[in-house]
Amino acid sequence: MAESNMADKGIKKVCVIGAGTMGAGIAAQIANAGVPVLLLDIVPKEGDNRNAIAEGAVAKMLKTDPAPFMGKRAAKLVETGNIEDHLGKVAECDWVVEAIIERLDIKQNLYARLEEVRTEGTAVSSNTSTIPLEQLTDGRSDAFKRDFLITHFFNPPRYMRLIELVAGPKTNPDTLEMVREFVDRKLGKTPVDAEDSPGFIANRIGTFWIQQAVNSAFDMGISVEEADEIGGRPMGVPKTGIFGLIDLIGIDLMPHLMESLTSTLPKDDWYQKIARSETLIEGMIESGYTGRKGKGGFYRINREDGKKEKQAKDLKSGEYRAAARPGIVRGPAKKDLKALISAKGKVGEYSWAILGPTLSYAASIVPEATATVVGVDDAMKLGYNWKFGPFEMIDKIGVAHLIERLEADDLPVPEILRKADGRSFYRVENGKRQYLGTDGEYHDVERPEGVLLLEDIKLSSEPLIRNGSAALWDVGDGVVALEFTGKMNALDEQVMKLIQKAIPMVKKDYKALVVYNEGSNFSAGANLGLALFALNIAAWSEVEKSIKGGQDAYKALKYAPFPVVSAPAGMALGGGCEICLNSDAVQAHAETYIGLVECGVGIIPGWGGCGEMISRWKDNPRQPSGPMPAVSKSFEIISTATVAKSAAEAKDYGFLRKDDGVTMNRDRLLFDAKQRALAMVDGYEAPEKPEYRLPGPSGKAALDLAVDSFHRQGKATAHDVTVAGELAHVLTGGDTDITETLTEADMLKLEREAFMRLVRNPKTQARVEHMLETGKPLRN
Amino acid sequence: MQVYEAPIRDMRFNIEELHEDDGFGDLEGFEDFDDDVTKAILEEANKFCRDVLLPINWPGDQQGCRIENGVVRTPGGFQEAYKQFCESGWAGLGVSEKWGGQGAPHSVGKMVEEMTCSANLSFGLYPGLTGGAMVALEGYGSEDLKNFYMPKLANGEWSGTMCLTESHCGTDLGMLRTKAVPQEDDSYLVTGNKIFISAGDHDLTGNVVHLVLARLPDAPAGVKGISLFLVPKFLPNDDGAPGNFNNVTATAIEHKMGLKASATCQMSFEDSKGWLIGEPHRGLQAMFAMMNTERVAVGIQGLGVGEIAYQSAVYYAKDRLQGRSLSGVKNPDGPADPIIVHPDVRRMLMTMRAYNEGSRAVSAWVSRALDAEHAAKEPEMRERAKDFVALMTPVVKALFTDLGHESAHLAVQVHGGHGYIQETGVEQFARDARIAQIYEGTNGIQALDLVGRKLPDRMGRNLRSFFHPVSQFIEDHGQDANIGKMIGSLQQAFGALQLSTGHIAQKGMKDPEEAGAAATDYLRLLGFVAMGYCFAKAAKIAYAKLEEGTDEKAFYEAKIVTARFFFERLLPPAMAQMMVITSGKGSMMDMPEEAF
Repeated sequence: MAESNMADKGIKKVCVIGAGTMGAGIAAQIANAGVPVLLLDIVPKEGDNRNAIAEGAVAKMLKTDPAPFMGKRAAKLVETGNIEDHLGKVAECDWVVEAIIERLDIKQNLYARLEEVRTEGTAVSSNTSTIPLEQLTDGRSDAFKRDFLITHFFNPPRYMRLIELVAGPKTNPDTLEMVREFVDRKLGKTPVDAEDSPGFIANRIGTFWIQQAVNSAFDMGISVEEADEIGGRPMGVPKTGIFGLIDLIGIDLMPHLMESLTSTLPKDDWYQKIARSETLIEGMIESGYTGRKGKGGFYRINREDGKKEKQAKDLKSGEYRAAARPGIVRGPAKKDLKALISAKGKVGEYSWAILGPTLSYAASIVPEATATVVGVDDAMKLGYNWKFGPFEMIDKIGVAHLIERLEADDLPVPEILRKADGRSFYRVENGKRQYLGTDGEYHDVERPEGVLLLEDIKLSSEPLIRNGSAALWDVGDGVVALEFTGKMNALDEQVMKLIQKAIPMVKKDYKALVVYNEGSNFSAGANLGLALFALNIAAWSEVEKSIKGGQDAYKALKYAPFPVVSAPAGMALGGGCEICLNSDAVQAHAETYIGLVECGVGIIPGWGGCGEMISRWKDNPRQPSGPMPAVSKSFEIISTATVAKSAAEAKDYGFLRKDDGVTMNRDRLLFDAKQRALAMVDGYEAPEKPEYRLPGPSGKAALDLAVDSFHRQGKATAHDVTVAGELAHVLTGGDTDITETLTEADMLKLEREAFMRLVRNPKTQARVEHMLETGKPLRN
Repeated sequence: MQVYEAPIRDMRFNIEELHEDDGFGDLEGFEDFDDDVTKAILEEANKFCRDVLLPINWPGDQQGCRIENGVVRTPGGFQEAYKQFCESGWAGLGVSEKWGGQGAPHSVGKMVEEMTCSANLSFGLYPGLTGGAMVALEGYGSEDLKNFYMPKLANGEWSGTMCLTESHCGTDLGMLRTKAVPQEDDSYLVTGNKIFISAGDHDLTGNVVHLVLARLPDAPAGVKGISLFLVPKFLPNDDGAPGNFNNVTATAIEHKMGLKASATCQMSFEDSKGWLIGEPHRGLQAMFAMMNTERVAVGIQGLGVGEIAYQSAVYYAKDRLQGRSLSGVKNPDGPADPIIVHPDVRRMLMTMRAYNEGSRAVSAWVSRALDAEHAAKEPEMRERAKDFVALMTPVVKALFTDLGHESAHLAVQVHGGHGYIQETGVEQFARDARIAQIYEGTNGIQALDLVGRKLPDRMGRNLRSFFHPVSQFIEDHGQDANIGKMIGSLQQAFGALQLSTGHIAQKGMKDPEEAGAAATDYLRLLGFVAMGYCFAKAAKIAYAKLEEGTDEKAFYEAKIVTARFFFERLLPPAMAQMMVITSGKGSMMDMPEEAF
């Protein structure tokens, strides 16, 4: 077989062996990519169904929240079986992922059997987190070793972006590349190359970090709440901090992690010195207090006496007590790492007790565990959801300052830190981000082909125009990107103004526009706080102006003489959804959560969402004819504030068109959206304006009837009925009937008027206020 | 000459007619206070104020308070007047029946307060402070403390104070030093010096109950380490009578610009026994409950002085004969016409009148809300009332006292040279009114409270309680044949207020100094829009009454003319505040400090 062909051949079918949480989750993500997957596990000791374990895993995943599957169609791509009867099917597969129990003998045994059935060139990888590759392939043929590697996923595989790749000395680079390409493009993961060393990268540092933080809390008399307040947000760590995180992953996992690392790491490794167990924690595990999955953990919600009280474990007494909000991290220490570790009292002492050793340890494993500092930072950011990697943190503190502090405390100063003394690990040179290599030289941070990031573009250019809420960037090849820049990417008057300014610019000098940003959410919709303030001061005409302004801007985009492609990722709600609906095409990240949620806050879509949804459903060939089906479907989706839980699901609801693109890897979204826009440039013509034939009051009566029945059953509140009534009025075309034709402008007017009636309603105002204060909808 | 007769008809208009549709719905618990009872209360109060308090107002000012051997003596007649005040039950008018009070609503109580402030502001302070102390005690005190002290305060037997200020800390309470040391019997020993303590000591009551802000030994620094204590001048015996002296001494009284019959004391506490009110370190919370009540009360002081100043000026303008009317002789039998014939004198009189009626209308609205906070049937109404009180408290305090002060000076002006002479009695109003702009949080602080706290709170939620009814009223009456023109000008002013509000919300969030620079002007604009709304409503009611026929034609016609005066001559300049507000902080803050 010509080796050069192997990467071209690509992976068309995958087999996952082991249907535990990880294996099943990996299979689901492969299915999410649209790739058929065979999920095998052992034959159960009891029962007649020899596939029961794998089948059970799939069934369980269909009920799990957050869902491992992106849609029901994905679940159908998973074929289940057992390793006794179906191992032969591995011959059909291009990649076999082993995710069975972490026992060397069992794994080796499985590999021996695999060697007999697999086709040469079929990649075999293990999801082990602890066993060295060298031991795994011991006794296997060279051919097997050539196709073998470790692919270490993180839990849950759909949502965690990190995958650590470990190749052995004999691993064929083409096999590695084939798997790398697949996990990157198809599974949307960010592969980080790791050496065959214990714990690889993320868990090695992560375990050390947790251990050090727990030890210090016990030694220094820091409470769990204090520990999590200091060790969470101020360090750019998720707010669960340390103890909250242990609760989440399971306290009983701690001894396993410790065992595996202490047994595999060299005796002189720093971790060996800090590894220890606490009597209190051992007791918790024994009595079933294993965290969120158990009876409780370092935190629990106490529901005794009908109350709902958050409690925390007192590390001294071992008793639960009401959880405190210490509020001890104040001022600059909240955001500035150097200020944090220099703070007086326990804030400074505890944060240093965590960060000093952890950063030093992280620096000590380059290049032993991975070749570059970038690998370490990527691993911690993508595998542990740290906002900054260890070396980025070191840059924030200052290399020289860190060395000074480490030396003062007699802590190790690793070689790479010495090399960086007086410099930083990252710098921007000629508009390119560079990192400090182990050779003491700076090297460009290279992006894989097909990865285009605004983050990089910003290093070398200025926006074409910008205001307080949006900016316009030249992203090359004649394409311009519209970026939302407000708080939470909220949409407001400024965004609309920028859109109106952008259109003539793009028309004159560019070919196409993509709507894209790199926030964690595309946009959660209009700036509700601003809207509520306007409502509170009865600035009705201003509110109406902002609705009209949004409608005008979105329609101007829709009918602009160039292609407009929206590229959402994360939440695209309300106005964030409507801009997608008004685009020529959408290139969505697979993890896009899109919907028209206005009804939840007592309003209806006001920036053209109503008319666009009807058009979507009217154009759907599978809908029955006549005006009512499209209206009913739109009504159902909008009135219940439905949010699609993936791009795949968004297509089912009509938020995305069937032929809209989906990108699995977040980093590839801009590139893909840009390509999509460019492909539309030749012969581009703006869409024709739609006309609507709608049922009018008779149709509204039918929808009202349905809502009334929900109300009687207690499923809809009084204000739900009001809001749904206004929505029905708009979707059925107001005072029209099917003999009349409504224009798009008529629909927008209906939308605006209904919107204005609703915002004047005190119950809508109460909903908006409640949403802003609590983040949850008010059911009034 | 000081002239006063309570404006009972206007007070009743405000209580009974103007705010019927205030949006707070029915109130519970005030069933006994129907229109007849209200009228009787107001008439009795008028008699007391006019016949007892007014005669000792100017003499009290002349005589002032004295301190003799650490004991403060009030001016002649005050003791008798206070005795009568208590015997007639005025001390407990607004206090719950549970403590022996009458349980009257604020909507009535605030009118009576206005009368006392008109007739004798200095006198009004003694019971006024007791009222504030009762609010804090009732809201935060232990059952034992309440059961013991409340009845004695409610019947006026003892009086109260609030001891906040120290020589080095006024507005910035975080710096206060008075200490409280816990004792084994759950009491505390309080030691420290306080200044500017109104009614700190006097000879009107057998005991003085001080509410004192102090720090516990383990208190954190700043305002989060302040606790509130009840410290009586005399420790009560078991039978409730004042017993041993508690080392609470008035060391001096201040010599002030005005308000001379009210004793402003320097107080010394030396291991004085006291009891904690509320939780440790949470004293400001209780103190603010008291201060919010007091802030509205101080606003009423401004209105009270404005009213007597107006009445005295009217009396003089009708009496004083000088020159002839520009439109021909009006008093052919006399040597000259009374000066009230002159447009410029009218301007001054109408300004005072419109300020008073406008303030009274707003005060009645806020009083309704103070009642509705606790007594409205619907929880949403109680919430709305609470929001409204929060929003309007700084406005009532600062605007009313500014206008009261303005009115007092206008009264002096109407009097000409005689106004500048002490014996005429009107310059006392100007001196007395001045303090109301300062104490209980200066008017500048009130404006900051409005723009910095009340306005942005919950994305402008407090504003809704005011902006929505005004906006609705404008929409509903823009085409009204009678008041359409007034609505037109109200709408303009309201638009200016909306714009200014948006401006402050936007700029102030990024730069608090911008909000601070706009604060005072914004407070005035908001207050004038509130008065305008009330005047438009009043005019609407007056037109309706006149159309349906009434035997009080003169009252309603006058109401309409006053409203017209307000819309044509007072609202337009207030509207111009918008230009000031939106001009930003630059012209003040750009000046280098050294250049001052």
